[in-house]
Amino acid sequence: MEQFTSGFFMPDQATNGRVLVVDDEADIRKVVRMTLQKAGYDVLEAENGEKAIETINYGENRLLLDVLVCDIRMPKINGVEAIAYFRANYPRVPVIVLTGFPDTDMATSMLRQGVVDYLVKPVEGEKLRESVARAMEQRELAHLQG
Amino acid sequence: MQHLTDRPAIEKLTPIKVAILGAGRGGIALLDLLHQIPSIEIVGITDRDPSAPGLQRAQDLHIPVTDRADELVSNHGVNLIMDVTGDPAMEQFIHAHKQPTTDVLSGSASRVLWELVRHEANLQAELFHAEKLAGIGSFATGLAHDINNPLQLIMGLAENLADETDLKAIHEQAQDIVEAVRRTSAICRDLTQYARKNSTRDDTMVCLNNRLDEALKIARYATSFHDITVQKAYQDGARIKGNPDEVLHILVNLITNAVQAMEQGGGALTLATKKSNDGVTARITDTGCGIEPDLLDRIFEPFFTTKEPGKGTGLGLYNVKTIVTKMHGKITVESRVDHGATFTIIFPPPSEDHS
Repeated sequence: MEQFTSGFFMPDQATNGRVLVVDDEADIRKVVRMTLQKAGYDVLEAENGEKAIETINYGENRLLLDVLVCDIRMPKINGVEAIAYFRANYPRVPVIVLTGFPDTDMATSMLRQGVVDYLVKPVEGEKLRESVARAMEQRELAHLQG
Repeated sequence: MQHLTDRPAIEKLTPIKVAILGAGRGGIALLDLLHQIPSIEIVGITDRDPSAPGLQRAQDLHIPVTDRADELVSNHGVNLIMDVTGDPAMEQFIHAHKQPTTDVLSGSASRVLWELVRHEANLQAELFHAEKLAGIGSFATGLAHDINNPLQLIMGLAENLADETDLKAIHEQAQDIVEAVRRTSAICRDLTQYARKNSTRDDTMVCLNNRLDEALKIARYATSFHDITVQKAYQDGARIKGNPDEVLHILVNLITNAVQAMEQGGGALTLATKKSNDGVTARITDTGCGIEPDLLDRIFEPFFTTKEPGKGTGLGLYNVKTIVTKMHGKITVESRVDHGATFTIIFPPPSEDHS
């Protein structure tokens, strides 16, 4: 990963934003990456909540990470704990839950905590890209409001 | 029901001494049932046919076998003679030889007993199945995860294939899709096999190591193995005699409990098998929350559970113990709070000569 550099306010021209995908299964991270790259997003991966927290606290990600796509059931720090951390420390980064477990209680509690979307696998690529696009708009709005 | 199994009361009673005449199906059913009841002592069994199957079963259980029906019937120590020979002439024979104080159960009375024993066996099978199905209900979380993840993979890859032009990538992704479908269908196959009723076929030789591996696979659907390391210390050729479905059932129960005990903070699950002259041992150890000392005596009781309402039936360990006892094995537990628990099952050594 790049060190903090002077150009950190200027992300790559080609990218429509930076998304961190957190899932313990490499295959899932791979297809989500494929799906999101089609819409021009720059995709980072983390295999659990602990790695996700490390990633957002690393260098320019602190400022340039736009959206988090996060699984719930993961080893080490799980999705619930990781999302609580993100909401507390990076309240302007919208969080989308992408989980294998359709649980309305969990969905309600997540949405209450400010998660912008609760998607249950398998989700169609188009739906995921729309959800990320909406989250990006929120993120930009948050930037504008300073 | 509880007052019947009240332990202090049983200890005060002198056991009822029973003699069994007839070692066919009825004799075997009686042996299997009565030898589990602490207040009953089987003083002997006999059959006119020296190759009757119940005689071998009696020897396995260390119950005296005799070919002298007259001696067994006239034995002063016998409180009750159970005649399951089905031979109408036997009644007269018994009354000619028995002591005046000895009671006799024969004719239609012993038929009724036989029916009750069979009824009880059916009820027990139903109970095993009900508990197993209730357990599978709690698999839902794990299953949704295990099925929906490969589905997401299939969805993503298939969508990508629609506009992928690189031939090599197309081949790889098509292969990944096939693999994901295999993974998903394996889940359905494993679970439908496990969910069916335990077969009632005769006991066979069961490879304990293989059953532990199979149980581990099923338990992975039931509960999350995140942050849990699995260690295996198997001895080659650890084989027992029993019903493979029932053995799997008890091992899934014990492994699931062990992993659930480590839900907070992870730990190590150790599965071990060992052969010795005394029998074949299976040991399941976790490093989880452990069991309070005053609860240790109660965990095998029916309907005892420390799980939240709806999470456990309280019948898991009760059924484990019932099956182990039925197999003439022993189960023990050692535990320290916050250090974990070890469940040890000792199965009798499989006797090769009559298998």
